[in-house]
Amino acid sequence: MPDIFDAYFAQQIINGISLGLVYALVAIGFTLIFGILNVVNFAHGEIYTVGAFAGLLLIVGAAPPLLAVVLFVMAVGAAAGVGLERLAFRPIRRFSDEASLKSRAMREATLLSSLAVSIVAREVMAHVFGGEMRIIPQAALLQDVITVGPLTLTNGNLIIFGASVVMLGGLQFMLYRTRVGLSIRAVSNNVLGARHVGIDTNRTIVATFAIGSSLGAAAGILVGLYDGNIYPYMGFAPGIKAFVAMVMGGLSSIPGAVICALLLGISESVATDFLSSGWKDLIAYGLLVVTLIFFPQGLFGHGRERV
Amino acid sequence: MRPEFKVLKGFALAAAALACGFSAKPATAAEPLLIGYQMPLSGDRSQYGEAFRNSAEIKLKAFNAAGGVDGTPVEIVYEDSKNDPKEAIAIARKFADNPKILGVLGDFSSTVSMAAAEVYAKAGVPQLSQTASHPDYTKISKWQFRNITTQAYEGPFVADWMRGTGAKTVAIIAIQNDWGISAAENFETAFKAKGGKVTATEYFNPGTRDFRSILTKIGRSKPDAIYLCMFYEEGASALQQAKQLNVKSAMFSTSSLYSPKLIELGGDAVDGLRMASTFVPENPAKNVQTFVSEYKSNYGDAPNMFAAQAYDAVGIMLDALKTAGPKATRADLRDALAKTDDYPGVTGKTSFDPETREPQKELAKMEVKSGKFEVIQ
Repeated sequence: MPDIFDAYFAQQIINGISLGLVYALVAIGFTLIFGILNVVNFAHGEIYTVGAFAGLLLIVGAAPPLLAVVLFVMAVGAAAGVGLERLAFRPIRRFSDEASLKSRAMREATLLSSLAVSIVAREVMAHVFGGEMRIIPQAALLQDVITVGPLTLTNGNLIIFGASVVMLGGLQFMLYRTRVGLSIRAVSNNVLGARHVGIDTNRTIVATFAIGSSLGAAAGILVGLYDGNIYPYMGFAPGIKAFVAMVMGGLSSIPGAVICALLLGISESVATDFLSSGWKDLIAYGLLVVTLIFFPQGLFGHGRERV
Repeated sequence: MRPEFKVLKGFALAAAALACGFSAKPATAAEPLLIGYQMPLSGDRSQYGEAFRNSAEIKLKAFNAAGGVDGTPVEIVYEDSKNDPKEAIAIARKFADNPKILGVLGDFSSTVSMAAAEVYAKAGVPQLSQTASHPDYTKISKWQFRNITTQAYEGPFVADWMRGTGAKTVAIIAIQNDWGISAAENFETAFKAKGGKVTATEYFNPGTRDFRSILTKIGRSKPDAIYLCMFYEEGASALQQAKQLNVKSAMFSTSSLYSPKLIELGGDAVDGLRMASTFVPENPAKNVQTFVSEYKSNYGDAPNMFAAQAYDAVGIMLDALKTAGPKATRADLRDALAKTDDYPGVTGKTSFDPETREPQKELAKMEVKSGKFEVIQ
């Protein structure tokens, strides 16, 4: 069927890229935290939701320019990340001998404690704000249409694209050109070793949570304004897709997670053209299974090296 | 004590209760009649459960204030099903095992209501759902009732209306659950029977908020109209994204999109949407206005169609309980429900067919015009 490769198909690719970028925005912070601690932070989706709610409250209250909203949301996200680390991760990290650092039970304990925090946070938000979608002032939505020939884009697409580039670039700069980045890489490489050469591992881990969570929160408000959807359960679906992207990308490679997120988005969107859209999640999870069978390290994983 | 004395004593107590105006609960009349109500109160459908509970509280308060069932007050026991069939079955067993529960209201979606219905059918508990509109729900057993016209009634109504506006081709976007599938299929059959063509039927998974891929796909066939079978939150997103993607087709939807929130969420993207509905809050009828103002003063928001459906479902249940009397068994309550005739609810006069237990209501045509729902002819 040659007529399927028409303007609608091109539009489908654009839809896919924008969907993939949404997953990528979430996956960046997710992967950063995994890279350091080697544990999945299940509360990342809730940080995303907290970011969206904080941004919306500011927009409704003061209607500042978007950049100010994003900076405010990142500050809230960083604070939430530090709180999360205190609540769900530090109490379980209180032993620092080699045996407990390598203990699987310790890692699985934080997996559950972060899951618990995420459930509590989500239901508290649902209780305080109500389970339904929040009303977003129409002027704040990132849905201004930009027409390019037969294709349509919105300013939200461009802003999310810009934000992903800035986040990815900024993170790479931070990791490879600053002292904080150096200590983060050291801790991710070997916690005990880092401690022996005098790095304050606790502070480094807190810094990682602050950075990763501020990125997650910024993703929340941007995607919320782009989709026109802010509600307490909004973090769940992108969180799962970001997790899939992270695993496909090799668990600890941030550029790998971003590329896989784009791959997921585009394949879901193009698959809708050929299959019923009810099947699109099957594509995402099918890709994950195929990746794990043929590339057990992920597409961009390389053994020990993390972050 | 001789039987006559017992009766006399009963009268005396009833008279005493009347004299006290029911404010001081007399010791013997304090045992209230119980009704169970299962609904999602947490999880991502909790907003519907909240609306049901709000409406039920208003109705119940008025009913008990007016004397309850011959002086016996009624209480509603709420349980949170999280819109999950597994939870619903557990709750249904709990309600069925409690001999004091005479009847049950709920659940919310057809899938969950039908899961619970299997338990109630076996245990013999009358169940009245305010929203389960899947055609098979009332076919489960003689114990199932509903207070919503089914998609088998609404689908053909909208198909007829759409053909009347000159639409020849239509694409359907429907949520992938029992209700969504039945809404899409009933409409599709009727639209085809009237000579129309369905260019695409696209189902999406519950929780989807990005409809751009689906809209792009159905945009290719340029249908005259698009029929949305979903809830208002998804509807607001779908309509906004359709506007973004410059989709020109006329928009129709199921009555489930009827909510003041739809306009607040969707803004001007919602303008032009048409749907059928049973509940119109602007209706000047006295009972509708009483309900709307009570709801607003208690909960801040105007009630939506779901709240109205629940308000009437609770009313019908309480009325049936009153007919059956304070000594009623579950079977008596079922028979009383089946005899519901011209119940004057806020969603129109409602009668239950004693055989099929399907409700009969009137549908109105509505269109969103410059940010307001308006009834059109």
